[in-house]
Amino acid sequence: MKRVFTALMVLAVFSALMVLSGCKKNPPPVRPTLPPPTTSTPTPTPTGGPAPTIEIQASPSTVERGGQATLAWKTQNATSVVIDGGVGNVSESGSVVITPRDSSTFTAIAKGPGGEAQASTRVTVVSPKEVGGVTSTDIDNLMKAIEDGRVKDVFFAYDKSELSSESRTQLEQNAKWLRQYPGAAVVIEGHCDERGTEEYNLALGDRRAQATKEYLVQLGVTAEQMESISLGEERPFAPGQDEAAYSQNRRAHFTVKR
Amino acid sequence: MTVRTLIQILVLISTLTMLSAQEPEIVIRPPITGVTRLAVADFQSKAVATAETDSALKVFNDVLWKDLDFSAFFEMKSKSFYPNKPIRVPLDVNFEDWQSSVVNADFLVFGNVQLVGNSAVVESYLYDVKTKQQVLGKRFTAASTTLIRNVAHNFADEIVFQLSAGTSRGVARTQIAFSSQKGGAKEIQIVDYDGANPRTITANGGLNKFPEWSPDNSRLAFVTRLPNSSRWEIWVQEVTGGRAVLSTPSSYASSPAISPDGRRVALSSRSQEATDSDIYLANVDGGGMRNLTNHQGIDTSPCWSPTGQQIAFISDRSGGPQVWVMDADGSNVRRLVLEGGHCDSPDWSPDGRLVAYSWQAPTQWKHDVYVVEVATGKIFQLTVGGASNESPHWSPDGRHIVFQSTRSGSKQIFIMNADGKNVRQITAYGINESPAWSGYSKREQ
Repeated sequence: MKRVFTALMVLAVFSALMVLSGCKKNPPPVRPTLPPPTTSTPTPTPTGGPAPTIEIQASPSTVERGGQATLAWKTQNATSVVIDGGVGNVSESGSVVITPRDSSTFTAIAKGPGGEAQASTRVTVVSPKEVGGVTSTDIDNLMKAIEDGRVKDVFFAYDKSELSSESRTQLEQNAKWLRQYPGAAVVIEGHCDERGTEEYNLALGDRRAQATKEYLVQLGVTAEQMESISLGEERPFAPGQDEAAYSQNRRAHFTVKR
Repeated sequence: MTVRTLIQILVLISTLTMLSAQEPEIVIRPPITGVTRLAVADFQSKAVATAETDSALKVFNDVLWKDLDFSAFFEMKSKSFYPNKPIRVPLDVNFEDWQSSVVNADFLVFGNVQLVGNSAVVESYLYDVKTKQQVLGKRFTAASTTLIRNVAHNFADEIVFQLSAGTSRGVARTQIAFSSQKGGAKEIQIVDYDGANPRTITANGGLNKFPEWSPDNSRLAFVTRLPNSSRWEIWVQEVTGGRAVLSTPSSYASSPAISPDGRRVALSSRSQEATDSDIYLANVDGGGMRNLTNHQGIDTSPCWSPTGQQIAFISDRSGGPQVWVMDADGSNVRRLVLEGGHCDSPDWSPDGRLVAYSWQAPTQWKHDVYVVEVATGKIFQLTVGGASNESPHWSPDGRHIVFQSTRSGSKQIFIMNADGKNVRQITAYGINESPAWSGYSKREQ
């Protein structure tokens, strides 16, 4: 009898919980009976398995500033591949043409059911050979200013496009050099971390680039010297799913238009 | 406590449960329940089987079963309970076997395949088990055995049309477009609704995103940033190749959507003077570009109501990005979803009653697919679990939804019933996102 009583009580408490959750008006209404969709996935994620491998090569490994190199990689047993240095998520095998601003190491991380593997390659950027004693131009000077950190990227808070006081100070520096080299046009790229949706982030990156450009116009840089484009969440600077990476990826990035 | 008191409590609880259950859920019409019990016997070789016939039959039987199962009209009766005797033609059927409590089918599908040279001839039948009457008897010819999938799709759609009394034309011959990562590029691809038969629409090495079909399936609109360009462009491309590039007011353009009459495109762009995006409207050839919204805040992701009278879109004018609705001339703007958090990718159901969208709850970093009933603002969650589920898009019969999910690791494309059940993965490699389900092409109408 006691066992029946216990069973009935359990049933009663359970039913009461059902009623409570059923009556709750607060959204979102989650149906408690729904199984997790993963169970209906026809190709379930295997657990374990062979460890992934990855190889990456740069060709050529030395380029003149502004020149292009090709990164080529191949993997085995990987389901996702990320390359840092602004390349981002890529397919399991493939290649991408890059124009590194300065000498850079590219690290590719392959993840798969069997774990993680990484490989790196380096592209060395050398200054173009001076031909017949050509003097440096505004473009070269602005590239140098970006390279040695006089002109820097500015960063944003999550889901924000307002400029912080730190960003404003940096943009005042940037404006000084942009005014000094009026023959060099810049492209201001707006970037976002990966947490928003694709569509919203493309619009948010645009708003970041616009906010940056507008402030530079206020500081006396001509609008004609600047182009802007949003890259949304397409080209993360730092791989990873933590605030350290995200904060690096919410930025207005300065490159010289060529 | 006496047993009597306990019974009283239980009765009270049941009453309360019934009362709360009376609160109407959002109803998918026609209801997604397997009310018709369907048996699908393996098609057989008409003549003596060869290795080629066997492999064609294997594909045909697999595709036909999956199409009918996914249609969500049927309770599919398990093949393991079927009579052993193979069925090629109606004379082979003993209807009592199929009516028995073991199988208990309302309708029976069977048929045969014969290879003639390179082509395959398929004789296919649908019978009412109780009346022993033929409902469908069709002979299809596939010009090559590789096209036998299409015959299975074709017959599945015929069965769905018949047994749904014309409420659905089926989705087995529809297609899905999406953006697929290729190295550092994203290209537009299309596949059959089940993920088979991938075809490339772009190969420009740039970033091609947010594809949407024209209502007759002849064109895809999407946004393109060519390599090293500092400009996003709206492309309206014929599936067969030619394209129009729409001239937009600034370097930002996004999320185009072709109107149900095929003549206009709604999109997100920004004027040179504005600090952020608005919804724009243009003719499909790019002429007559004008803004429909002119408001502080991001406006993006427009989608048309099936009548073309209204446009749902995303705006963060009230704080976070939310689903808003306006008339197609830009008037009568109102908020549709009243929750906090972040919404995106609205898509209007073909019957006009529901808008599907993705929602990220406050303080959460994952998205899930929801639908909102336009008339009432009532919302309903379709996906659950630890992964992000985004970018929902309705099938043309309004009974299914395609979406992107990270549940298998990287972003991939999945399809499900419009009630969130019966999830199937249709892409498995690389990174694939922003799916759009085609309409019915003219050929099928």
